[in-house]
Amino acid sequence: MVFENIPYGIPSYVFGPKWFYGFDSIIELIAVVISILLVYYSYKAFKLTKENKYAYFSTAFLSLTAAFVIKIIGTLAIYKPTITRTAIGSSIHQTFNSLTPSNINSLAFIAHIFFMLLGFMILFLIISRLRWNDQRVIILLVYFVFLATWISVIHYQFFYLTSFAILMLITHSYYKNYIRIKSEKAKFVFIAFSILLISQAFFIFVIYSNTIYVLAELIQLLGFVYLLIPFILIFKREPKRLRK
Amino acid sequence: MIVKRRGKLEIIADILRSIQSKGGNIKPTHLLYKSNLSHAKLKEYINTLVQKGMIAEQQVKGKKMFVMKDNGHKFLLEFDRIKEFSDSFGL
Repeated sequence: MVFENIPYGIPSYVFGPKWFYGFDSIIELIAVVISILLVYYSYKAFKLTKENKYAYFSTAFLSLTAAFVIKIIGTLAIYKPTITRTAIGSSIHQTFNSLTPSNINSLAFIAHIFFMLLGFMILFLIISRLRWNDQRVIILLVYFVFLATWISVIHYQFFYLTSFAILMLITHSYYKNYIRIKSEKAKFVFIAFSILLISQAFFIFVIYSNTIYVLAELIQLLGFVYLLIPFILIFKREPKRLRK
Repeated sequence: MIVKRRGKLEIIADILRSIQSKGGNIKPTHLLYKSNLSHAKLKEYINTLVQKGMIAEQQVKGKKMFVMKDNGHKFLLEFDRIKEFSDSFGL
């Protein structure tokens, strides 16, 4: 783990072993692609139906997409410091010349925490069918996300512990959804979130061994692949009524 | 038991499904019976669907019929996909 103090006491985090550098970015890139697909389709559903639930779902996955993109940038700053010598990299570097790769990594990690928690929180709000018109609930939950981000900066484990707790509630809701509608696709969604929940459990302990980080990333990849399956199934088959 | 009111899109989908279940064309009286709408309301929806090119009014064997068009099939396919997406992802 790279741990360097930077101004304001924000630590820099890279958890994986050296041989895994870049592989985690590829895994996160796959997660980004799957998240973007969900963002795009739910936004399309919102445009057609004008139902807000699709817009919120789209926002949740947009937040998760932002979280992963930011993490990729943050880790690349450590894995590939030569990136600052490229045309774009050097112009960014000149603009923010006081930022070291470690600074970028630290700031990216904070943004990653915020967007991950925000995404999971929005998802929890939609699928648990909390009343969105009660703005006090929303304000309280957004405050909680800020608070959790702040504490997570000091104790990174709090971040994974919080996302584990929110994901546990999300997974429970998806289990109830699967029991209610008994469809194969709902089962895949439930399995996907169960796997993501397990990956978060592994992430809590990454500080103890970098092998745990590798396992957590691979489990997370599996979770996102499972999330893609129901999406493919929906588009693969034509509805029964249209089959000849 | 609380019966949930159908939204505008659900009503449109129900009208199109009624036509589809009859092989793509249906008599106005059958459609009125199957759509569960008042005559005035059905007329409103029919006008919208004709304007959007989802259905067309045609004479089949001398009788007035509503015929489903490609846009209608496309709408129904997309509507069913969104419904499946919504159910699967617990929305």
